[in-house]
Amino acid sequence: MGKVRISSIQLFMLLSGFLFGSTVILTPTSGAKNDAWMAILLGGAGGALLMWLYAKIAMLNPSKTLVDILRERMGKIVGSIVSVLYIWYFIHLASLVLRNFGEFICTTTLPETPMAVVIGLFAAVLVFVINSGIEVLGRLGELLVPVVPLVILIICLSIITAADFEALLPVMENGITPVLKAAFGLMTFPFGETVAFLMLFQYLNNQAKLKKVVIASAGALTLSGLVIFLRDVFVLGSELMSRATFVPHLTTLLIPGVNVEPLVDINLLISGGIKISVCIYAAAKALCQLAGIDDYTRLTGAIATFCVVLSVWIYENVIDMFNWAEKVWPFYSIPFQIIIPVLLLLLSLRKKPGTSQN
Amino acid sequence: MTQMIKVLAVFVVLILYDLQRFIRKKEKGVVFVLYFLFMGVSLAVSMLLAAGVKLPSPARWIESTLRMIGVIK
Repeated sequence: MGKVRISSIQLFMLLSGFLFGSTVILTPTSGAKNDAWMAILLGGAGGALLMWLYAKIAMLNPSKTLVDILRERMGKIVGSIVSVLYIWYFIHLASLVLRNFGEFICTTTLPETPMAVVIGLFAAVLVFVINSGIEVLGRLGELLVPVVPLVILIICLSIITAADFEALLPVMENGITPVLKAAFGLMTFPFGETVAFLMLFQYLNNQAKLKKVVIASAGALTLSGLVIFLRDVFVLGSELMSRATFVPHLTTLLIPGVNVEPLVDINLLISGGIKISVCIYAAAKALCQLAGIDDYTRLTGAIATFCVVLSVWIYENVIDMFNWAEKVWPFYSIPFQIIIPVLLLLLSLRKKPGTSQN
Repeated sequence: MTQMIKVLAVFVVLILYDLQRFIRKKEKGVVFVLYFLFMGVSLAVSMLLAAGVKLPSPARWIESTLRMIGVIK
């Protein structure tokens, strides 16, 4: 098998697709109401910084995956334990996105179909994609991710006549605290979740472009997040937005004369699919590295099955899912997204790359 | 009961499909161990959920742990 390589444009598309992920149906900054635009800008800046941190770690440890870096920098035993925690984190993240997908499809498009069937069939397709390799996933991203902003643009233009541009006022009615909380939420979901890419960055054919690629994709999400928010707030208003379950879906229902609802489904299929694939790939690859298995495809089926079961088991209902994502997820993610990566960066800067502590 | 049989049938198909691949390629023991660990846990949880047993989910465990150490109120 030849050496796996992806181009910088493919990595950009994968990162952008991953970042769009569930954010095409959920609004992580909804807590800031009509000031969410500030939260998006602040969260985007913080998110870009986090992604730069991950890129820096990858550049200080060339041709190494997260597992290699952890074991080299933290020692074999501690590194292996932390790697197991990361494997759990990637599996958990894949399950959450699968559940978001299942809840959305079963609420809006296929209300009569059991959620386990929707999630299971989606996961089965994704296992084939993951088993085809990271190059195939990269090419798929290159082909499909451009559809996402196109769909966003179509919906924006279709609804422009119903926009009320005063919906952003008053500014900072509830102070700065909700804005900061929402900005932190956005940093952890979805920017911080790109820590999974530490299992993929090594495949970039031109490592010198890594930082540019991650910053460009963070910028792309910030810009599109801003566009989506402005579209929704101009059409629905902040009060209705804070009460709606799936805000972008509600916005599409207001387009007169034409049903563009499936376009939101398409966006979720593409971006959610990429996010789940990357997470399952990262988990399978990390587990195989730890266990000394050469081919990660041996375990993708079992891990995907576990993700499907976990996604059905993890929440009782959609309200529980939203509550957990808003109140628990940002704090649960801190060690995986901030503390351990910062520690890894410091350890990588302290020791010369390639110097083994053993 | 019907639900449990359906779940069991799906798992039997998945395991048989993977197992014949593993045997043909003479996989290492560790592959079997990890595979059956994931599939075993998945099957056990699915059967319990299909039987209507309310299991405390990992989301609740994580939430209680974070509450216990005072990270969330």
